[in-house]
Amino acid sequence: MREFPRRHQRGRPALGTAAALAVLALAAVAACGGPSSGAKDVDLGPGPAQVGTVKDGALKGVDMTFVSYGGIYQKGQQEAATDPFATASGATVVQDGPTDNAKIKAQVESNNVTWDVVDTGSVWADAQCDKLLMPLDYSIIDKSRIPAGLAGKCSVPAMQYGYVLAYNKTKFGADPPKGWADFFDTQRFPGKRALNGDPSDPEPGPYEAALLADGVAAAALYPLDAARAERKLGSIRPQLVFWKTGAESQQLLESGEVDMAMLWSGRAYGAIKNGAPYAVQWNQFLPVMDSLTVPKGVKSPKAAMALINYYLGAAQQAKLTELTTYSPVNTDARPQLDPLTTSFITTDKARQSQAVPVNTTWWAQNQDAMGQKWSDWLGG
Amino acid sequence: MTVLDELTDGGRGSRSAAMDRGRSRPVWLLLPALVLLLAFFVYPVLTMAWRSVTDPVPGIGNFTWFFTEPANLRVLARTFTTSLWVTVIALVLSYPYAYAMTAAGPRGRAVLTLLVLVPFWTSLMVRTFAWQVLLQDTGVINKTLRLVGLGPLHLIRTETGVIIGMTQVLMPFLVLPLYAVLSGIDLRLVRAARSLGARPVVAFTRVYLPLSMPGVAAGTLMVFILSLGFYITPALLGSPTDALISQQIFTQVSGLLRWGRGGAMGVVLLIATLVLIGLVALAQRGPARRRSSS
Repeated sequence: MREFPRRHQRGRPALGTAAALAVLALAAVAACGGPSSGAKDVDLGPGPAQVGTVKDGALKGVDMTFVSYGGIYQKGQQEAATDPFATASGATVVQDGPTDNAKIKAQVESNNVTWDVVDTGSVWADAQCDKLLMPLDYSIIDKSRIPAGLAGKCSVPAMQYGYVLAYNKTKFGADPPKGWADFFDTQRFPGKRALNGDPSDPEPGPYEAALLADGVAAAALYPLDAARAERKLGSIRPQLVFWKTGAESQQLLESGEVDMAMLWSGRAYGAIKNGAPYAVQWNQFLPVMDSLTVPKGVKSPKAAMALINYYLGAAQQAKLTELTTYSPVNTDARPQLDPLTTSFITTDKARQSQAVPVNTTWWAQNQDAMGQKWSDWLGG
Repeated sequence: MTVLDELTDGGRGSRSAAMDRGRSRPVWLLLPALVLLLAFFVYPVLTMAWRSVTDPVPGIGNFTWFFTEPANLRVLARTFTTSLWVTVIALVLSYPYAYAMTAAGPRGRAVLTLLVLVPFWTSLMVRTFAWQVLLQDTGVINKTLRLVGLGPLHLIRTETGVIIGMTQVLMPFLVLPLYAVLSGIDLRLVRAARSLGARPVVAFTRVYLPLSMPGVAAGTLMVFILSLGFYITPALLGSPTDALISQQIFTQVSGLLRWGRGGAMGVVLLIATLVLIGLVALAQRGPARRRSSS
């Protein structure tokens, strides 16, 4: 999820980099001091792990830091999962953020890891598996209730959402766009379009939409033909308005500056809830997710795994969805929602049938090259 | 007198240097600042430079990448042209302003100084967000234009918007050194020129302007150098399509975790800046030597 994240990250991007450099500067000092002690062996109890539970008081005296993107998202995570986990396990869980991959790198390389569980992008999580991130211990994490195919070697989903097409109902309500082809059809659907323009975060989205619009079958998307996608994107460049933060994309809808937008479902929801006259075309939406990860070299990997296992519980996931509108990643979760929020749940069967699956593994393998291409294309 | 003297004290360096010679120099007073600089500036810069030639593999790969990727060169060129625009516009606006400060009475000068200092003391973020509100398609400027039947002007997410914001943010760095130099100019020289028959324009271009050059050089150099590495304002007011080099560095360091490449871009920027300071210093020494030898 890149919603609340960006709002924060954009607010202080320079700080992120500066902090990374400062961490670098202190690396030598920290290396001399060595990681602080506290790596005690924890007893999580006998028997197979059960999702959403932790042995009472098993982590007394353990200090942990949970890192996410801030805003109502992290507040929801705290209220639904990490606070109850702290109460049950006896651990002290501190919140930190926003997630900054450069800081993870600095911590791991200086062998001074203070972030225990980190909510980050799924592509990055996959790409850094066994590099900056450690494999998850599925004897502690019960993955039986995670939707099929979403649990990876080094990450589990934190929640799910979608990359969707939103359009102005007042303008196109009589003959709404049917999919990405119409997003690129400026003859039939004249007007400005909003598109993600964050060069620092290459991820599934614009390339897939462009190729689908250009006639590539959903099943034949990968490996992505980046040049073809860029040609297609270039064909509507004068009509594009680039947003760099989730907040900005929502604001573009609320101010009516664009007639169509490709944006994260949570942001479309926010705009519609605030009364912006837009609707979502769910056909061909791209399902995306955030991942929970554990950096290499955390003081207590077992405690981190225990937190993740607790986070994935049905009750926790239902509550998280109720608090944030993001879709749960436990198949047993039954959140109580109003009709508008229900229509934004990407995980139900009917909705899933409209989705075009994205290949996170391919993205992870090609993240470097795609990142460069995306940043070059954006830079014009 | 060197450029650095001017940057620090607005062109009165030679005088204080002369005074220094008469006294003992308590160099140890510099020690705390020196330690701070070493730990938080020199060390990180060296680390970054070291990474640029070692990460991910030893060699000059990061630099070859930088200079062979057309997109990088476009960004570098754009960074220099944007900075140049900002500097020129800021100079055109600041020179008359600084002159007005010297010509005004004490109360007028206090007001003019305050008008420069208040924004200078205001957080950069606050000022940039204020510009965002002003420049939006549905912002104050466009609303006003609509009232008189004009517009809308697209300002946010354009290079123009970036230049407007950067110029306002950086202007104090030009006004203040300029004022320091202009206020030291002996106006009797201008009057003498007039009494010898020079027209006002000639008196200005032949007498006043040359005397103000140290302030112009110090101020423009400062604004230009700060522009080259500006991050927040272009990131918030511009579109990714007109990203400057600092944003590209952020992309490499924070997004793609290519610290070697980010380091190489930083080194290129640093060297370009140092070369620039050197050139200006040379250009200044030239006329100074000619003056003293004639």
